Amino acid sequence: MGIQIDALKCTACMACELACGYHRDDAFALLSSCIVPYRGREKKNYVGVILKEEDSLVAARPEGIEINRIGEEQDPDKEADASAKPMLLRESCDLCDDVDDGPLCITFCPTGAISMA
Amino acid sequence: MEYLASDKIAIVDLGTRNITEDELDEDLVLDKIGGAGITKHLYDQYAVENPIVLGTGLLTGTLVPGASLGVITAKSPSTGRISHVPLNLDAGMELKYSGFDYIVIKGTADKPVYLWIHDGILDINDADDLWGKDTWAATDHIRSEMGDDLIQVLGIGQAGENGSDLAQIGINYWQSADRMGFGKLFGEKNLKLMAIRGMGLLEISEPEDFMDDCAELIATIRKNPTTQKQGIAAAAAALGEEDLGDFLDPLTHRHMACFNTPVATNTFIFTEEDPALLKESAVPEPGFLLTDIFPLIVLKKAGLSAKDAGILLKACAKYGIDGAAVAELSAKSGLTDPAEIEKSFPDLKGPVESTGGSVFSPWAAVGKEINENWERRQAVAYILGLHPIWLQIATELTEEKLLDLAGLGTEMEFTPDTLDEVIGDILA
Repeated sequence: MGIQIDALKCTACMACELACGYHRDDAFALLSSCIVPYRGREKKNYVGVILKEEDSLVAARPEGIEINRIGEEQDPDKEADASAKPMLLRESCDLCDDVDDGPLCITFCPTGAISMA
Repeated sequence: MEYLASDKIAIVDLGTRNITEDELDEDLVLDKIGGAGITKHLYDQYAVENPIVLGTGLLTGTLVPGASLGVITAKSPSTGRISHVPLNLDAGMELKYSGFDYIVIKGTADKPVYLWIHDGILDINDADDLWGKDTWAATDHIRSEMGDDLIQVLGIGQAGENGSDLAQIGINYWQSADRMGFGKLFGEKNLKLMAIRGMGLLEISEPEDFMDDCAELIATIRKNPTTQKQGIAAAAAALGEEDLGDFLDPLTHRHMACFNTPVATNTFIFTEEDPALLKESAVPEPGFLLTDIFPLIVLKKAGLSAKDAGILLKACAKYGIDGAAVAELSAKSGLTDPAEIEKSFPDLKGPVESTGGSVFSPWAAVGKEINENWERRQAVAYILGLHPIWLQIATELTEEKLLDLAGLGTEMEFTPDTLDEVIGDILA
């Protein structure tokens, strides 16, 4: 069981990020979310979603899923995304284990881009 | 003001470079609710100093579907009326989380400056090296200097610097909903741009009930077929305008939403790249994000291709001139070549019909005649912080429901009578 992301359905509205932030802080905030649309390549409209899991950082890119194991060396030629910088410091996705209806990012995603695998 | 707010109003005097801060008084919120209700109040308070007032609604930045909106209130150089322009994309949200609920900008700087707003701090910085740059170069410069690509930039290009009535305050690289010539006001004040980053936190009075209501709303909205169609063409069709789908589809890369807005009212077209490309383009500027329906309709009717319309609107955004006004004036003059139209930018003058007949930007009205229902719905959007196009489409978001949510979020009570009074004040 885990979060599944279809980056092509994402419109970068950030509802998932805000819902996740609420799960962490019991308030509206965006700094502790473990799921974020990456918004840093605005001129090129290159948009996807990054998810911090227990052992990995999942980048749901338009062209496919990329899983980076935390602690492993990354490709030095690859440009880092601004939204990804603080992700490693955040808590991992716990699938909103205290919420009866399941992960809040799924509840609030308006386009169905996020689902349970 | 404890909930859904930062409890801070900044008064910025560009002339003296003095910045003062006031608390957001709960009595003011009870009386004027927020958004345009309070920006209008603050405008009136500082009216002799021709201020520009920015603010957000009580629900801006929350999980209420469509809660994306900030508002700029000022006297329009185009119409002479006190007018309100929505801050769309992510700009309203970033302002909400920046640590300030409202910002009053008065006075005139003696040389170019920009405002840097973040973490409850507001600085006036020199902008000598930004003045003269187009909006794209200025946005790149600020983001590079601050090392943060998520900073939202409300800025002017050469149109605002040179005093055009058609000058627009752009948002990052894109056209905003500023049809009122507010870019000219920035230029007159020697204010090149405002750089905004929001990393704050909003407490909620009744968080569980608030979240339950928001979840119920989004579940209901998902069942409405009209609210499931994405893109600027679908938004136009939902508003009763012609469907631009056939016009834009061949160039459409993806549809992009304003913050927490279920319908993406913006569409990115690739004019210099294959629109079907999934991986990141190697072209530095592959296309343009279309954010305004009206100029597309006018340019299409004038005979421009979608590609030429995109190229022209990108040039408008860089120069900081209202694309709707340019479309209207170029259609009247018979020009259809984007390069020729761009050459005419410095000499373009109004009046233009694209300013509409209301105190609200007609961005969400498209070509429809403004009527009482439209104006009331816009007022509700601007007061509470909802996306103005979205609120025209989403009938699920009733006034009663929105006032209930504002009450749940703030531990305050807002009645329909209060809303009527605030709307009356704004429209007076």
